[in-house]
Amino acid sequence: MTEMILQANNLHKQYDKVHAVQGISFDIQQGEIFSLLGPNGAGKTTTISMLSCLLSPTEGDALIDGHSVRTQANAVKQVIGVVPQEIALYPDLTARENLRFWGGMYNLSGARLKERVEETLEIAGLSDRANEKVETYSGGMKRRINIAVGLLHEPKVLFMDEPTVGIDPQSRRRILDTVLELNQRGLTVLYTTHYMEEAAELSRRIGIVDHGKLIALGTQDELTKLVGESDTVRIGISGVSDTQALLAALGALNGVHHAGLEEDELVLQATNANARLSQIIGAISAGGGQVKSIKVAEPNLEAVFLHLTGRALRD
Amino acid sequence: MKALQIAIKDTLTRFRDWKALAGMLAAPLIISALIGLAFGDLGGDEAPIENIPVVLVNLDEGELGQAYEEVLTSPDLSNLIALESMQDPEAAKARIEAGELRAVIVVPAGFSETVIPDAEGNRGQASVELYTDPAAEISPVIVRSIVERITAAINTTLLAGQVAGNQAAGYAPLLGPAMAQLGAAIQAELQSDSLNLEEPLLDLNVVSTGETGESVDPFAFFIPGMAVFFLMFSMFEGSRSILQEERHWTLQRLMTTPTPTWEIILGKMGGTFLTGLLQFTILMVSSTYLFGVDWGTSIIGLVVLVVLTVFAASGLGAMLTAFSRNENQAGVVGSAVSLVFGALGGSFFPTDGLTGIINIASKLTVNRWAMDGFLALTIQRQGLAGIQTPILVLASIGIVTFVLAILAFQKRFVK
Repeated sequence: MTEMILQANNLHKQYDKVHAVQGISFDIQQGEIFSLLGPNGAGKTTTISMLSCLLSPTEGDALIDGHSVRTQANAVKQVIGVVPQEIALYPDLTARENLRFWGGMYNLSGARLKERVEETLEIAGLSDRANEKVETYSGGMKRRINIAVGLLHEPKVLFMDEPTVGIDPQSRRRILDTVLELNQRGLTVLYTTHYMEEAAELSRRIGIVDHGKLIALGTQDELTKLVGESDTVRIGISGVSDTQALLAALGALNGVHHAGLEEDELVLQATNANARLSQIIGAISAGGGQVKSIKVAEPNLEAVFLHLTGRALRD
Repeated sequence: MKALQIAIKDTLTRFRDWKALAGMLAAPLIISALIGLAFGDLGGDEAPIENIPVVLVNLDEGELGQAYEEVLTSPDLSNLIALESMQDPEAAKARIEAGELRAVIVVPAGFSETVIPDAEGNRGQASVELYTDPAAEISPVIVRSIVERITAAINTTLLAGQVAGNQAAGYAPLLGPAMAQLGAAIQAELQSDSLNLEEPLLDLNVVSTGETGESVDPFAFFIPGMAVFFLMFSMFEGSRSILQEERHWTLQRLMTTPTPTWEIILGKMGGTFLTGLLQFTILMVSSTYLFGVDWGTSIIGLVVLVVLTVFAASGLGAMLTAFSRNENQAGVVGSAVSLVFGALGGSFFPTDGLTGIINIASKLTVNRWAMDGFLALTIQRQGLAGIQTPILVLASIGIVTFVLAILAFQKRFVK
């Protein structure tokens, strides 16, 4: 039986008037990549901050490698690596100086520190530019060093908070490959993202977070079953004067379970959508609108989120 | 120790920042050079010292007492000294003790009668007494110079009179024109070597502690003044870096490592302290070579004073930062405090002339105590024993502010 390396139990974080995290519970098995998927402001970073002992939970607790984040913070910090969403590096220092400094903070010294600095530079693919100041790096390179810092002390669990935000597709691909490679070497990863594709690619199990609550948890198959056989239809439109009336008309169509509007795009959940496109286009024309584009997607995590919250993941 | 690693990292980062270096090192040296060259000697016409509070107790009813009074009240000295007349020497001296005066000049009763030769050419010895404020650094030197010049001029006149074979009654016409020119001449003479009469007929009896210098090197004042002034700025800036780390999330990342929060805070404050220590040391060494600044004779006194000045300044910076709402507020408060402390605390001009509430406010600044200490070492040539009060006050400021800062930061960052 696979050992649980992380058990979060009913975590709450209450600020003055904001209940940022409301009773989140989940487990992570050793060697697993577990993703928390949710839009910005859903409570993902607050959850990771509590698991990193940066914030004290208002209620609940979590055990990491058997240590409580409430009462054994120092022991927890020895076994976790943290990759924050921000580039938490010193831009005036070189990559090597940054890694040496952070290694010292993780109690590494001497030959061991030197060895780990070179190994993590290798993982980041930046050995040849290690003596350049971080401020001269591209966004993707900074992200890679940001990850390298979290790996210095060979943690048992790596927390990665939106590590691909704001970088180009090539760098993003490289980071995702790095995460997969680290996992293949046995590293457990807790990965937060608002990109459905990243969670889908990296993780077997995914927790969906919204408004501080874990609204769904399971494998991708288990989650997509929540929306049944519904397809997601995205239709670019123009010329509609009364969108509410159009949404009501579309929602009333047979087989359409949900109709919403995101900017200039209609988003529908419909069973066997391809067969119903003529009805849908007819309703739009009747409402005075013109169809500019149509995209039909089979059930996926975005559809699950839409199904559960009535909103798109990117909202 | 991780606090030391954090401190070294911060110091390294700071000294790699050209903009910071310009503010920490180049600016104080350049400004000191400009001010020093502009003012020349502190006794010069454009000396920044004004209205030194002085009392003349003229108990002499003759011409010489009158001569002292006329010179000291001449328009040429009216900006430099604020002269009052009193008749009770003890009451006047008590006012020095109370911090109201910087000097008291006593011309004793019968002074003219004793000193001016009679018809047979006989004369006696008499002394003008000068009492100065031991807590003041520069003004006693200046007042002493003035009194010395008056005394020397009278000596010259008396000698000339003797050579001419004049009688006592004939000195008055000689004294008049000589004294009329003396006030204007004193300003210029303050920069020159003192008159060295081989046989002075009058003595000047200086009763004070401390001052020994004949002239004041402007760099000996302005370099410490500017060094302390810019030290305050860099200490506030350095302390603010803890809030910058919070904004950049490096502070949060530090707090996810197995490093106690107090050690992180100590390291950050230690980095500011270390930076200030290096800044001040570099300024001292470079000013010694560039401007020939003489930092006094007490190496131990200087080391202790520099360490405690930096300790107090960095502690104050950390405390104000810890109690600021955000980085911007810390920046505004830091700049304002640095400027006000510089102005009140004697970084731009000597505090000798300060009295009343301004003097009390001045004593609430780190700059004042640091400057008192530095001027005692450089101008008054005192040792460690002579700067006990400044080092005690600076140490107290440092301890209190550091403790308050650590507690406030701890409360702020542990959520």
